[in-house]
Amino acid sequence: MSDVYFDDENFDDGFNEDSFNSGMDLHLWRKLFSYALHYRREVIILAICAFLTAIAEIAFPLITKGVIDTVAADGLDADLSKYAALYGAFTLLLGLSVGGFIWFGGKIRTHVAHDIRMDGFCNLQRLSFSYYDFRPVGWLMARMTSDCERLSNILAWGMLDLVWGCTMMFGIAIAMLFMDLTLGLIVLSVLPVLAWISMKFQHRILSSARIVRKTNSRITGTYNESIMGVQTSKAFVKEAENLKKFGGLTDQMHSASVINLVQAALYLPLVLTLGSVAIGLALVFGGLEVVWGAITAGTLVAFLTYARHFFEPIEQLAHWFAEMQMAQASAERIMSLVVAESEIKDSEDVIEAMKQDKTANAAIDGHADQISQISFKDVSFSYDVGDPVLKNINLDIRQGETLAIVGSTGGGKSTLVSLLCRFYEPTTGAISIDGVDYRKRSLHWLQSNLGVVLQSSHIFGGSIIDNIRYGNLNATNEDIFEASKRAGAHAFIEALEDGYQTSVGEGGSKLSAGQKQLISFARAILANPKIMIMDEATSSVDTETEQQIQKGMDALLSGRIALVIAHRLSTIRNADRILVIENGEITEQGSHEELMVIQGRYYKLYTQQSLSEFVDEENYWRT
Amino acid sequence: MTVEVVNDRKKAQLLWSHTEGYRGAFSMAILAMAVAYVFMFGAPLLAAFSIDAIRAGDDFSPDPRVMQIAQFFSGNAAPGMMAYLILAAAGTILLTAIAGGFLYLRGRYIAFASEGIVRRLRDRLFDHIEHLPSTFHDTADTGDMVQRCTSDMETIRVFLSGQVVEISRAFLMLIVVLPILFHLDSRMAWLSLVTMPLLFVAAIFFFQRVKKLFETVDEAEAELTTVIQENLTGIRVVRAFARQEFEIEKFADKNKAFRDHNNRLIGIMGIYYGFSDIVCLGQIGLILIVGGLWVMDASLTVGTLFAFLTYEGMIIWPIRHMGRVLTDSGKAIVSMGRLAEILSEPIESQNEIAPENRLIGQITFEDVSFAYEKPQVLKNVSFTVEPGETLALLGPPGSGKSTIAQLLLRLYDYHDGSIRLDDHELSTLNRKYVRSQISIVLQEPFLYSNTIAGNLKVGRLDASFEEIRQAAIDACIFDSIESFPRGFDSQVGERGVTLSGGQRQRIALARALLKAPPILILDDALSAVDTDTESQILDALKNRRHHQTTIIIAHRLSTVMHADKILMLHDGEIIQRGNHESLSRAKGVYQRLCAIQGAIQDQIEHDIAEVRDHE
Repeated sequence: MSDVYFDDENFDDGFNEDSFNSGMDLHLWRKLFSYALHYRREVIILAICAFLTAIAEIAFPLITKGVIDTVAADGLDADLSKYAALYGAFTLLLGLSVGGFIWFGGKIRTHVAHDIRMDGFCNLQRLSFSYYDFRPVGWLMARMTSDCERLSNILAWGMLDLVWGCTMMFGIAIAMLFMDLTLGLIVLSVLPVLAWISMKFQHRILSSARIVRKTNSRITGTYNESIMGVQTSKAFVKEAENLKKFGGLTDQMHSASVINLVQAALYLPLVLTLGSVAIGLALVFGGLEVVWGAITAGTLVAFLTYARHFFEPIEQLAHWFAEMQMAQASAERIMSLVVAESEIKDSEDVIEAMKQDKTANAAIDGHADQISQISFKDVSFSYDVGDPVLKNINLDIRQGETLAIVGSTGGGKSTLVSLLCRFYEPTTGAISIDGVDYRKRSLHWLQSNLGVVLQSSHIFGGSIIDNIRYGNLNATNEDIFEASKRAGAHAFIEALEDGYQTSVGEGGSKLSAGQKQLISFARAILANPKIMIMDEATSSVDTETEQQIQKGMDALLSGRIALVIAHRLSTIRNADRILVIENGEITEQGSHEELMVIQGRYYKLYTQQSLSEFVDEENYWRT
Repeated sequence: MTVEVVNDRKKAQLLWSHTEGYRGAFSMAILAMAVAYVFMFGAPLLAAFSIDAIRAGDDFSPDPRVMQIAQFFSGNAAPGMMAYLILAAAGTILLTAIAGGFLYLRGRYIAFASEGIVRRLRDRLFDHIEHLPSTFHDTADTGDMVQRCTSDMETIRVFLSGQVVEISRAFLMLIVVLPILFHLDSRMAWLSLVTMPLLFVAAIFFFQRVKKLFETVDEAEAELTTVIQENLTGIRVVRAFARQEFEIEKFADKNKAFRDHNNRLIGIMGIYYGFSDIVCLGQIGLILIVGGLWVMDASLTVGTLFAFLTYEGMIIWPIRHMGRVLTDSGKAIVSMGRLAEILSEPIESQNEIAPENRLIGQITFEDVSFAYEKPQVLKNVSFTVEPGETLALLGPPGSGKSTIAQLLLRLYDYHDGSIRLDDHELSTLNRKYVRSQISIVLQEPFLYSNTIAGNLKVGRLDASFEEIRQAAIDACIFDSIESFPRGFDSQVGERGVTLSGGQRQRIALARALLKAPPILILDDALSAVDTDTESQILDALKNRRHHQTTIIIAHRLSTVMHADKILMLHDGEIIQRGNHESLSRAKGVYQRLCAIQGAIQDQIEHDIAEVRDHE
């Protein structure tokens, strides 16, 4: 579970809810509705069920009317069996259609949610990292889970209630007008008043509901902050002040909620009273017509019943209408995720080339399946906003070479590596593999030749062996043991109770940082990549372990293109070449000895860091 | 988090105890609802009487004024009947309007009561969490806690504002309508109750059964969420190994499982609702047909039949819904239990004395031993720091340095040995007083989502801008802050500026300096600050040094060498003590540290020499 909550109000993602106040974006809803249309058969059945339900509900008062009229007319000789049969038939019909209605509505709801989520997830796998830079995991999670559910809820149940409610109101109106035009018109005369009141109220209820939601988000955020920062609050004795602030929020929440509830409490009685006006009108004018003999007592009963039923769907319809308006921002957000285009993807030519037949040694994109040299030519890079992170980088890396990159934090080390991995592409300049611009090669081919070990290694939930196997899904158990031996992970894994089958917990929570790192080493070794990248990979491993994996690392790095971002002296010193990157530029370049002679930035970094490094090492503390 | 076994009954009692002060409002709400139903159920009676009156052709001669109105409408045809109808209609509207008024009152009372209870519960929870001891927070999962404070609270809120009403509504309706029904016609009354017990029991039975399925769906959703979360947090690994297809397959499985479980649940709901609709309508049909037969032999009037049909339609649906409502109410009990687990955790002791005056800043540890859980973190530690002195603590990770700081702040309670501030035994001093006398800066400081100025003012609320400025200058963060587009008003966190680790540390330092307490603790607080800046900061601190006792926990020799006293810790024990001069001469770890520094110097010189030789 993420520690930070990104709900709509706590995270500025460029979608402003207030801008959705004015009316509905029909285009958006049409796009969403097309998801439901994948299930055309179900949608049609759903509509039929809703229609039948409404029809059956309209039929019951008519049957009642029939019974009463027959009894009134024929007295003791009346035969009610026909009506009993009709009633039974309609009851069955209603039961079935309500069942079907929920069944198919549910099916559409769950399937649409499934499909939107699927599309969203697939697209997330394609999108380039620049997309992730501005959207934290928590934000994406909220879209993929709660927003999806909310929208599919509206699409299925909202539509269902809409069809049912409209059919019912429409059907009742028709039935009344058909039975007695004047009386029908008189009863329906309350309709405009009803519409006016509903509009007035829904608008208010909607805006107070928005305030409630916003305040609720802030309360969640404040709880989160209070728990995360509890030590600081204690140290500065801020408990009382925090509570006061929080109390202000809950006061605000209290008054907003009460207003919202009271508005709703006012609306419902108004609709009820309006309904009773309709009933009263039916009673007066219908009663008179009965006296005149224009209609039967049964018809009057039917009218009275209709007048009551007519107002039942109103509440539901109002609710869904409000919900649709409130969910508009959710809809916009999730659709933006589904349709977002990746900035980095295979070009048309590459896609075309991948369809062609290949020669034996060729990669999937038709070029040679080897990497003997990577060249950066005048590469500059900047994120969407801000100054360039890398400026005019020129660099050649050959197979078998280990390149160490050092420099201050934020200087551009990681960006250089990300460019090489094609997680980002150069803003200007070009990176080529064996003379071919890598934008002309398959993204999948390049990335399946990568082995990456990051500073904070990501471990998936599940067993240790599954995590290592992630490097090569076809590896045998022996391959896996071999890889973990080389990474220096075998010993500690074997020492665990369940060995390689040990469950690591969510995100590897049951392992120490060092253990996670060793597993990610094994994973990378198993992948046997052409390009190996280590980003501060040994920072959380203690010295002894580091010495263990050092041997494996030499074997691991040799024969490949290896890039190492590190601060461990040993790793840096053993590199074939060292790059110093400061402020996006390569300021120094050469072997350890060469750079020491210059007595420049590298010299300073080296002398400064070495001391703290030694101090951290436990060995030197033993007496 | 220790999970106490609290049974449902106890949880329900707990929920009840939290309604204190609002029970009157709840009673008023239920009373208002009862009155509302009395009026609402009166309306169909008026219509029923009218129908019978019409059929009987009764004549009616009320007040002449009413007759005039009636004549105006009916144009002299049956004015008596017209008057009757108008009165009945007016009565119907009036009764409904009064009922509506009472329903509105019910809404007001419920809103007042439920929101009031929830507000109080929220405040209590917040206050409680802030006063829970560090031992609790160490093991508690933030996500789970927030979940309890929000989702579980919402479940309780919905229960109080919705389900309480819903449950009492069904019962009230029965209580109000039954006398009317039996008064009208007892045969019909019995008839209209035939299926009710069946419906009620079936509903409860059914929803208890699907509860299991609800749980399955929840689990499936949790699994799905985990897969998405893991994929998104590990997206770099996924890309680096080009495992998109594999991930999509994994996701598709969970996605499908969630969909299908959900589908099954909804399918079963469909069957239940379809079936119960048939039962409900069958009940109404029974009344219609049997009632029709009784109308035929004239033992029942059409009006009464109409009344029964209307009443049945009003009460049967809420009863069908009861199963759902009761099951959902069960969730409120569970949620209350989850909140109770937090609320029943004991908070830090609060009642020790708090001296009026400011501490001078003398710190004494005497034979202090301490363990968080099993292994001892501190073993018989003794030392004294005089007011205004600087003490440096050195040692490898886990040697107990930070524990000393945390004990001083009374974040944890010691039981062996004695810690004294000036002449007070620490455990007899009020925690808040102790903390107000000490400033601490942590390696990974927590900043509030507020402006930078707001964060600095956490140190001292009434600090003037000049003081804030000076603190920022002393902490070497002033220039950085000024370089932000909005300066001191820049927002920290998601919406605002992104701060580096070093900047965060320095802001936290400025915040601590602003507080200007007698004791300042820097717990590895400058680790992310480069050496040049660090020495500037240390110089600034030196100028303040005689105002406060300072404890510095650090790794760099350069940070600690100017301290008045240096303690070397290892495995919870003090293995060396002295100052830079004495320690660098004594045989031991400190000397070796200095030697290493020398050795590095030597190696570098050697490297350079070697390279020169090549040339």
